[in-house]
Amino acid sequence: MYAIFKREFLSYFRTPVGYVAMAIFTFISGFIFYSLFSRGIVSISNEIISLRSLFIVIVPIITMGMFAEDRKRGTEVLYFTTAGDLFSVVLGKFLAAMALCLVMFVNVFLHMIVVSICGGRVGVGAWGSVIVFFFLAALFISIGLLASVLTDNQIISAIVSFLLILVTQLITAIGAYFGTALSTLMAYMGFSVDARSDAYTAVSGAIGWFDPFAKTSQFGDGIFSVSALVFCISFAIFFLYLTFRILEKKRWSQK
Amino acid sequence: MIEIKNLVKHYGDKQALKGISFTVNDNEVLGFLGPNGAGKSTTMNIITGFLSSTSGTVKINGHDILEQPDLAKKDIGYLPEQPPLYLDMTVYEYLTFMCELKGVAKKERKEHIETIAKMVGIEAVTGRLIGNLSKGYKQRVGIAQALVGDPPILILDEPTVGLDPNQIIGIRKLIKDLSKNHSVIVSSHILSEIQEIADRVVIIHHGKIAAIDTVKDLSQRLSGSTKLLLSFKGPAKDAVNRLKMIQGITDVVIRNSGNLNEVEITTAKVAGDEIRAAIFFVMAKSGWPILEFRSLDPTLEEVFLSITAG
Repeated sequence: MYAIFKREFLSYFRTPVGYVAMAIFTFISGFIFYSLFSRGIVSISNEIISLRSLFIVIVPIITMGMFAEDRKRGTEVLYFTTAGDLFSVVLGKFLAAMALCLVMFVNVFLHMIVVSICGGRVGVGAWGSVIVFFFLAALFISIGLLASVLTDNQIISAIVSFLLILVTQLITAIGAYFGTALSTLMAYMGFSVDARSDAYTAVSGAIGWFDPFAKTSQFGDGIFSVSALVFCISFAIFFLYLTFRILEKKRWSQK
Repeated sequence: MIEIKNLVKHYGDKQALKGISFTVNDNEVLGFLGPNGAGKSTTMNIITGFLSSTSGTVKINGHDILEQPDLAKKDIGYLPEQPPLYLDMTVYEYLTFMCELKGVAKKERKEHIETIAKMVGIEAVTGRLIGNLSKGYKQRVGIAQALVGDPPILILDEPTVGLDPNQIIGIRKLIKDLSKNHSVIVSSHILSEIQEIADRVVIIHHGKIAAIDTVKDLSQRLSGSTKLLLSFKGPAKDAVNRLKMIQGITDVVIRNSGNLNEVEITTAKVAGDEIRAAIFFVMAKSGWPILEFRSLDPTLEEVFLSITAG
């Protein structure tokens, strides 16, 4: 696992991929920090919350090649034909992407230092946002890896992970949409207003439950919620496991 | 030692392998011969554990590739058809990565890589990016990768494809050197190449084994050809008529090649001394000087025909 981690992490810096991702992140985070700073109301947790919407761009960039490239170049043979299990391959790649996130995040740490030097406060909410940032990163990177293992084309892999992450950002809206659709349908069928509003709450609530941003939103206010972290971790593990199974399946496929 | 029993592999409706069995002994070079699409790469992929078979077993030094994969894979070095190279790494970085992947102890890595680099002749390029190397060097780095961890069994899928003649000779020599203390399976679709390096040959055709034989026996079976090529100065049609009179010649076909007259002669049996002498005297008596006279090597397809026919 360590060998894979090392190779993948260093390969970010052998190719433009790592630099591009870091440049985007540094530029945007710097810009957000600047606009907050110039107004004199610096909230690190606000900065981080804004940065979370960058996942949709950054994650596809850093995960698109992870399995797709291997398959295309024929290097995936190495994982299958050397001793050692495939899950550690998946884990090694996952940790490499996480490590790159950590490197990118150094810029935000610098902002935190600047804030405390200038007499600002880096409170519990800021640290809560930092923690959540990495849990969300884990979740989205695992989605990106899943997209990468599905194809041998980096572009398709990037588009698929972009779309999957887009869906996670829209989950609450999607839930509301389905809730409205159901309650409208029920109105035609002659259900009472109470039943319709119950149905709306149930459907939008059930779908909205999967919204990772809503789940973790209190962290910025300094409220820690273990269940939100468990949510991120369990879905990350689920997607990584799925990635592992799909990778393994290639070998057993009879097609 | 590799024992392969009854390998069957389906790809959807297509049956790529239809029951392949053979063994490879220690320190033996086994040539794996077949036209493109015969199932060579599939078989090799199954032996190395990259693919699974639909049915059948593969045992590497007594370890089943499915039941004890770690033990089995440890003993194999594999060069697939497309060398598994990371183009963004230098040769040295790549070989270090392979050492890590195959669990070579940290202390031994440097020496191990140097030994291998020397063996395959890539010492001069260890600091260069793999992506910038020529095809020949890439192929050698691929072989170097297979040698990492000192596996007793090497499986090389068309190691000389796309190389220039000098490089081909180099790789052949390397394989011969390696066979002193390795079991090697080499695949190819070129008969002469396999004849040169292998001890035994497995010929595979349409997913089935057409023949397993030592190179010596196979050569005997194929020795001499039933086709001769003759180019000469003189009237082509007359020559054809006279040549056809010779006993044992079944067919003479004119092959046009510029202003030379060239005929392809097919004989009923392997063209022995007598027929060749007879041809010479016919041409000499007619006063048509022979410019070239040689037997035509059988193509792989002809080899299959001759093997499957008898």
